[in-house]
Amino acid sequence: MGAEGTFRTTAPRVAINAVGRHLPDCPRPLADLPELAGLDEAERLTCHGLGIDTVAVDDGLTAAGLAERAARDALDTAGIPAAALGALILVEPRAPETLISSDATRLQHALGADTALTFSVGGLGCVSSTPALLTARGLLAADPGLGPVLVVHGSKPAAARRYRHPVTVNGDSGLALLLGRPRSAAPVHLLDLVQRTNGRYWDLFGLEYRDRPTAEWREKCSDPPGYSFRLAMETRNRLAELVAELLARNGLTRADIAGYASQNLSAGGLAFIEESLDIALLPSCRDNLRALGHLGANDTFLNLSTALDRKELAEGDLAVLVNVSPVAAWSVLLVETGPPSGPGSIA
Amino acid sequence: MSRGSAETLDEITRFLTEALRREVGPDDDYFALGLVDSLFALELVTHVEDRFELTVEVEDLDLDSFRTARRLTAFVHAKKADAETAPVHAGDS
Repeated sequence: MGAEGTFRTTAPRVAINAVGRHLPDCPRPLADLPELAGLDEAERLTCHGLGIDTVAVDDGLTAAGLAERAARDALDTAGIPAAALGALILVEPRAPETLISSDATRLQHALGADTALTFSVGGLGCVSSTPALLTARGLLAADPGLGPVLVVHGSKPAAARRYRHPVTVNGDSGLALLLGRPRSAAPVHLLDLVQRTNGRYWDLFGLEYRDRPTAEWREKCSDPPGYSFRLAMETRNRLAELVAELLARNGLTRADIAGYASQNLSAGGLAFIEESLDIALLPSCRDNLRALGHLGANDTFLNLSTALDRKELAEGDLAVLVNVSPVAAWSVLLVETGPPSGPGSIA
Repeated sequence: MSRGSAETLDEITRFLTEALRREVGPDDDYFALGLVDSLFALELVTHVEDRFELTVEVEDLDLDSFRTARRLTAFVHAKKADAETAPVHAGDS
């Protein structure tokens, strides 16, 4: 049943010194996805009603390649060599290219981060970036001599089909967060985060692969009414509790929050978050959904960085990032924006 | 069925018919008919909470209690009855 995953911090805030991104140059129109021809009428109607016009598709890169591009972008933005990294944390891909081998040390080798403490975390679907951040914060707090920590994720659907009925269309992306100790010039600081899980949903969505060729892989929901009703309503209650807890333990009220960002599943999903929490999400969420589709664990920080690019948030603003996974897992993060430009810009 | 239950059933049925834009009978399983997405579920639960002055907790989220107007009526009345018979603890105002 429910697991209390809150990590009540006494550690200082964590600086996000750079956000590295890799997005395909030309997102593909939703109507051009080959799988649409094979959908039944109900699936097709749902797919076209998701609020996604184009999808980020990069046929030339695996999840590992997407992660590497984003990692390099973050390091280049911050002007830090990979050899200076204290730790490299890979948020595990939806599906590894090979079993047994290590995607984490593959990235370490590709970057030349030879001395970085390297490993992967995950297990929570789109919420998997949160345990990575919890781990990074713990490492920075535990080891005063540790160098910068790079958290990286390459998001690519496990199956060739990108549509996950009735939820979303999965795109391709890479995103990396370069983390360090607080400093006034950092473009963003992570102040706090709260996470919860409920194991009763562990197999609500799944992809059987052992007994079939990859062309037959399908992401399937084992209980559509359970997803649309029970998990949805539990999500409403959970998120309300988590946001209240996050704000209360930081001495804040809703009036102190300048903006909210969530992951991008569908227009209905964004409206659900807004109505559940009685908030308005930053415009970057709907725009990225429309242009890119769902980018898994990369969505929330991509939405945040887009919002900062567009000055939807100002220096010193507080924002809450909301993540939900049908695993089921929920997390909320409190961040503070810093100077809008300069070395290590988030944009 | 008591007069109160009949009124509740009538009200819930009217809400469902309006929200789903189709006639919904007391025993129609709108989940099985594929009419429910998460936004509608939110609308339904929020309506029930506001109209009948109750709170749907995580432990109340049994789909069988919500899949027809008649079952939802029974849930509302059971929930109200529970609230009325809940013990008062020292310190409660």
